[in-house]
Formats: sequence, structure tokens, C-alpha cells
Amino acid sequence: MFDQLPTAYIFFAAAAVLFVLPKGTARSAWMLITPILAAWHIWSLGLGNFAPYTFMGLELEAMRVDKLSRVFILVFCLASFLGNMFSWHLRDTTQQVAALAYAGSAIGAALAGDLLTLFFYWEGTALASVFLIWARGTQGAFATGMRYLIIQIGSGVVLIAGVALFYQETGVIEFDRMTLGSLGTWLIFLSFGIKCAFPLMHNWLQDSYPAATITGTVVLSAFTTKLAVYALARGFAGTEILIYIGVVMTLFPIFFAEIENDLRRVLAYSLNNQLGFMVVGVGIGTEMALNGTASHAFAHILYKALLFMSVGAVMFRTGTSKASELGGLYRTMPLTAVFCLIGAASISAFPFFSGFVTKSLTLSAVAKEHYQYVWLALVFASAGVLSHSGIKIPFFTFFAHDSGKRPAEAPRHMLIAMGITSFLCIFIGVFPNTLYALLPYEVAYENYTFDHVLGQMQLLCFALLAFAVLYRIGQHPPEIRAINLDSDVTYRKWAPSVLGLLVMFTAIFWMKFIGLVRGKIERMIGFLHHSHGPDGARAASWPSGAMVLNIALLLGFALIVIYVS
Amino acid sequence: MSDHKEDASSYPALGRWFMWVEGERNQKRMFWALAMLCVLLMVINLFKPMHGYFSVEEIRWFYGAYGFVGFTGLIFVAKGLRRIVKRPEGYYGQNAIDTEVYPEDQLGRKDHHV
Repeated sequence: MFDQLPTAYIFFAAAAVLFVLPKGTARSAWMLITPILAAWHIWSLGLGNFAPYTFMGLELEAMRVDKLSRVFILVFCLASFLGNMFSWHLRDTTQQVAALAYAGSAIGAALAGDLLTLFFYWEGTALASVFLIWARGTQGAFATGMRYLIIQIGSGVVLIAGVALFYQETGVIEFDRMTLGSLGTWLIFLSFGIKCAFPLMHNWLQDSYPAATITGTVVLSAFTTKLAVYALARGFAGTEILIYIGVVMTLFPIFFAEIENDLRRVLAYSLNNQLGFMVVGVGIGTEMALNGTASHAFAHILYKALLFMSVGAVMFRTGTSKASELGGLYRTMPLTAVFCLIGAASISAFPFFSGFVTKSLTLSAVAKEHYQYVWLALVFASAGVLSHSGIKIPFFTFFAHDSGKRPAEAPRHMLIAMGITSFLCIFIGVFPNTLYALLPYEVAYENYTFDHVLGQMQLLCFALLAFAVLYRIGQHPPEIRAINLDSDVTYRKWAPSVLGLLVMFTAIFWMKFIGLVRGKIERMIGFLHHSHGPDGARAASWPSGAMVLNIALLLGFALIVIYVS
Repeated sequence: MSDHKEDASSYPALGRWFMWVEGERNQKRMFWALAMLCVLLMVINLFKPMHGYFSVEEIRWFYGAYGFVGFTGLIFVAKGLRRIVKRPEGYYGQNAIDTEVYPEDQLGRKDHHV
């Protein structure tokens, strides 16, 4: 029965089938068919709950298809399709299996109707995705993957602890809206926050995504964080603290993105900033805001994948994604440059591109609830998005100073993947109602009003002008080979250093202590030897006939005993 | 770029067409085109004020000023931040990918010969 088959299993079964398919076109085609099948499956099911099962006496729900989960599932399928198309050339079984298992886990988690099913798939995403980092096959990638895995699995451990406490307290295992209060709910919230890259829990993202393989990063960018956004929207919509967490998320990454040299890390910071908008939407929690979050996630997955693809294609041809090593590539990679510009325009929310029609929902929802400072911060962050994703990525890759590199245009399958994604970015921007129809709630919102278009154009054009002026007078920060410290320095450098010092001090203290005790014991032995040894003063003072006296006493004692008995 | 004139005949047609962005003259033109667009947006706003959720949106040229000042501020704060957080590429040693070369067998290098 197809309607009782969890959609995630389609991906897992497809991953198993990969092993019997010969490496090459057949496998690559299979990788494309799988997400189409899954999307068809979820669409044909309609809305409702499916595939219930019992586990350890608990009634669980493997498939809850409602309008909130369905829009995420559909975009996950789309992202999987596009990512697999971009990876058509890949002949690496590990990465192919990981890509399918990862997409399947993310879809399974988003469909989970209860917290236990959510936990299983939550950990599944962590386990499957790390192979996309390890597949790079270098020591740096291995170490980065380990850091990633520890944090991702950690998030799952926190989740299951929270679920256990929550269940013990309320007897509820269904995954529905919760209110922050008890330790259990806080732990669940924290676990979502880790995967959603909340401030100070964010660094796994910027650390690991640039370390993955070229194709792996495109796949990674779609699932984990948006799954977390979905989980927050499902569990904690309307939780006010999320508004402020979201604002901080939109703000701090834009400064780091501005000075970062590795363009894939710039995109990771940018991803973090975009998540902020979605988290604010969840925090506001009104129907309009949740529509904003869901549509923004949908559009964001596409343009972020497009940007990662274009930088990935450049890396595939040149071997680097560092801004300091690139520039002037538009000459020989013009199509990739155009696709990158479309992604850049979409994320910057230029009118007629997808970001414009999705971000505005969140911004309007914020304004409607009268959060003026939050709104001002988000508008500023929008200018920041233009700065790093809209300008920096395309400009320093394809234009700016000429690096002298003349790589060939991206391979055809990458161009097709980027072309389809570009088309979708523009399509959503021009016909937003097709996306709005998929959203959780009815949308009564007109995007293309005079005020809205003029306001946005003013913001973006003047920001562009500021860039042009600063660049011409040499005030724009130059691209240099360097890294920047972020909060991960605490666990990558400081904690090990502090631990090293601690080990050293403990060792020194122990050696001193042992030395001290040994000295005392040696001195005591020396003293005893001195007084009681063969040449000791005490030994010398015994009378010479002591032994004879002792034996006489012993014999006398024996005599008395024998006499008495 | 090298001194001698670049032979672009093997480049894709679109890439050759894009090459008009080279040269000081055309770059100046683009800059002034952008500046004119900004002026145009200001003029439109002058005759037709905007309405929004907040009173601040009704201030003329609010969005333009906020975009320009915000962007400039962002750049200078980022430059300040760089002074504090910048470290050499090899700061994290071998347990990071920062100084690693991407494995050649996973690349599809192909160059135009010029």
C-alpha cells in the first residue's frame, strides 16, 4: 500500500538500489528519478496522517502531511533533484548514497507526527550528511567532519533528553506547538537551535560547509538548517524570544561575510543571516509571518543552492573558492556568471526575483505587529545581504581584478542544474501566487505595490551606489588570504590551549608532590639506616652477649611451660 | 592582465560581449548610470511620497538614505572587525581545510589557452 509507505523510505530504498546499478549514467539518472517519485508520492497522498506504527507501546505517526510540512517536503524534493543534477558527473558511491539518505532523513523528520520519530530522523540527517564532508578525503575535512558530527549528534542527544522529560511531564509524544517553560521544552528548543545555527551555536555551519565536497555543499545547504526552521515553526511558533534571536542572526553574520575570503564560507554566513529572517517570522508567529517563513525557506533553498552551485562550478574548474585567487572569470564562464547574478539578485530581493516576494511577507508581518526596531534591523540586514551575497560573490568571482585564470565554462549538467534553478528564482519572483498557493495559510498580500517596489529599489540602488563609491575610492575591504576568528575559536583553539595548560600544571604539580613525598620517605629510610643499620649508633650500642641472653630467656620460658603442663 | 592585447577568439560569444565592462571609460559610464538611476528614484519619491506601516517610511528618501548610510557603516564596522579577528590562513593548522589544496582527482580543470 503506497499510502502507508513513509516517503523517506523511497529515498532509503533508492540508496540501497544504487549498489546494484553500474556506476555512470544509470546511477545518475536514478538519483534524479528518486526525488521526483517522492514528490509525486507526497502530492498524490493529499493532506492527512498516514503510516501509524507502535514502538515500545507508544502510538506514533510517521507521516503527517499538512500544508506546513508539505511545502517543506516539496522543496526538499526539489533541492534533492537539483543537487543530484549538479552532481551528475559524480562516480562516488559514498556521496551518492549519503545524498539520498540525507534527503530521505530530512523528509522523514519534516513528516514526523511525533517527537520520537523526529528524533530518529534528526540523527539520521547528522549521520548521512557527514559523509559529504568526509568524501573530500583530506585530513582537514576529516577533522572538520568530526567536529560537525559531534555537534549534530549532540543536538540529537539534547533532543531525546528533552523529549523524555517532556513526555514524563505531560504524557504527550505528539509533535505540536509547545510552550517554553519546563526543562524538557527548553532542551527541545535548544536542540532545534543548534541545528538552526542560533548565535554562538552557529559555527558548525561556517566551519563545515566550506569543507565539504563541491557537490556536497550544494546538498548540505538545503536540508539541516531548514529542517530546524520547520521544527521551530511547528513547535515554537509565536515564541517571542525567537524574534530577538532571529534579529541577532540576521545582523552579526553580515559583518563576518564582508571580510571572509573563502566564498563558500561567505555563503555559509549568508545562509546564517537568511535563517535569521525565517526565525523572526516564527517568533512573530502570525499566519502571515509563518507564511513568510515557509515561503522564504522555499525561495532561499533555491537561490542559496544556485549560489553554491555557481561558486562550486568555479571551484570545479579552478580548484579554489577563495576570492583573493579569483576574479575576471566572466570572460570564459559567462553563463555561470549570469546564473550567479540571478542568484545574487534573488537573495538581495530585487523586484521580479524570488527574494522580493518572500522576504517581504516576513517584513510586513513584523511591521503589522509594530516591532519597529526589529523591522529597522531587518531592513538594514537586507542591505547587508546585498553587500555580501549580492555584490561580493559575483563581483569578486567573475569581475573585479583579473586573476588571469581562463577556465572553461561549467560542464553541461551543472549549467542545466543552474539554469533550472535560475528559472525557478525568476518564476517565483514574477508569479508569486504559484508559491503562495502552497503555503500553510491563505495569502492576502499584494507584493508589487508602488510603495514596496520604490522602497526596495531605493534601498538596493543606494546601497549599490555606496559600494561603487567605496570601491572606487579604495575603501572597500580588500580580499586577502586570511581567516577570521569566530566563536569556534573557543573550542578549536582556546579550550584545547586551556586544557593543555591544565594538563601541564597538573603534571608539574604531581611531579613536585611525588618528589616531595619521595624525598621524605628517602630521608626517613636514611635516618633509620643511620640509627638502626649495621653501622648505626643503636646497633652498635647493643651488648655483645645479647643473643646468648635471649636464648637463655627462651629456654627458661620453655622450661616453665613444660613444668606447668 | 598581460600587456599584450588578449586574444579572446576562443572565448564564448557571451563572454566576449561582456568584455565591454573592461576599460575605465565604460566603468565610469556604468557608475554614472547607477547614479542617474538613484537620482531618478529620488525624483519619483519627491513627487509621490510613500506610505508604509511606520511614520519613518514617510520621510522622503528614507530608504535611499538608510541603504547608503547602512551600507557604508557596515563596511567600516567590518573593516574594524577585521583588525580584531584576522589571523593567518594556517591558524588552525592541519585540522582545518583553510590551507589545504582541493583534491585534484575531484576537479574537472579545463582552461582556455591564451
